[in-house]
Amino acid sequence: MKKNHNKPDLQQEVLKNHPFGVPEGYFESFSERLQQRIREEESSSVPVRRIGKSTRWVAMAAAVLAAALITTSIIRFTSSPGSEGLYPDIALLEQMQVLDDDRYLYELLGEEEEVQLDEEEAFASQAIEYLAINDVEMDLIYE
Amino acid sequence: MQEWDDREIIEGSKIQGKEEIAFNQLVFKYQERLYWHVRKIVIDHDDADDVLQNSMIKIWRSLSSFRSESGLYTWLYRIATNEALSFLKQKKKKAFAPWIDLEGQMSESLEADPWFNGDEIQLKLQQAILKLPEKQRIVFNMKYFDQVKYEEMSEILGTSVGALKASYHHAVKKIESILRKD
Repeated sequence: MKKNHNKPDLQQEVLKNHPFGVPEGYFESFSERLQQRIREEESSSVPVRRIGKSTRWVAMAAAVLAAALITTSIIRFTSSPGSEGLYPDIALLEQMQVLDDDRYLYELLGEEEEVQLDEEEAFASQAIEYLAINDVEMDLIYE
Repeated sequence: MQEWDDREIIEGSKIQGKEEIAFNQLVFKYQERLYWHVRKIVIDHDDADDVLQNSMIKIWRSLSSFRSESGLYTWLYRIATNEALSFLKQKKKKAFAPWIDLEGQMSESLEADPWFNGDEIQLKLQQAILKLPEKQRIVFNMKYFDQVKYEEMSEILGTSVGALKASYHHAVKKIESILRKD
């Protein structure tokens, strides 16, 4: 097979060296900065305190009382005359629903597009993977 | 400082009073390799620094419970890779625009990056790599720049050797075609 000399040659050794650099002394100081961050995170984390039995009962009683108060207020509020105007506009709610649906549709389309691309690639990959497992030379596969 | 081998690091991390020394040994031994691996994924130096620190903190928190079923090196690479990929995902989310072409932005920022030391052809190569799908990009970087064996890569990325070979060859073909067009 004739070799194509116009083809960019990824075999050039110079290309195999990555072209990135770091600020001077970065690796020398990394460990110290990391330790500092770990110390800061550990000192700022609040220790979890166990709740005592008596405190637990008081908390439960408070929660029940709060729930009862809220329920009573809602019932009174909704049954009082002239409260209709305080409800949100149905048209506005519908509009919000449409916006939500649009966002969902957008997400769905985005995902579908991704899946479609993946499927195409997956099919090619599966075929190539099969040939690769059976030790067929990659260059022959791509011929 | 005498360098510990992986076994000493793992054993040291389980002994009370020695955990910190073991972790420092791990950082000293692997920081550069992990940094370069992450840098090639996230491109920007500051981002790579963030990801490396986050990875190291995760490693610090779970090192004592690490079971040496897989090699330490494989485990570290896996954590760093996942951390880098989640970082990119978060970056896209933070932009409040999932359609944003993050790789395109990364590609453009390379030209102005003060920590990019490459010449024109190296810049073109990096920009071509950034056009690959995320996973293909990682496979290409690991094979092409780091010469990681497919078997090791398979453990790190949890993908079969055959799929990795195929992925690498797809990547090479795409990069060659992109470079040819430029």
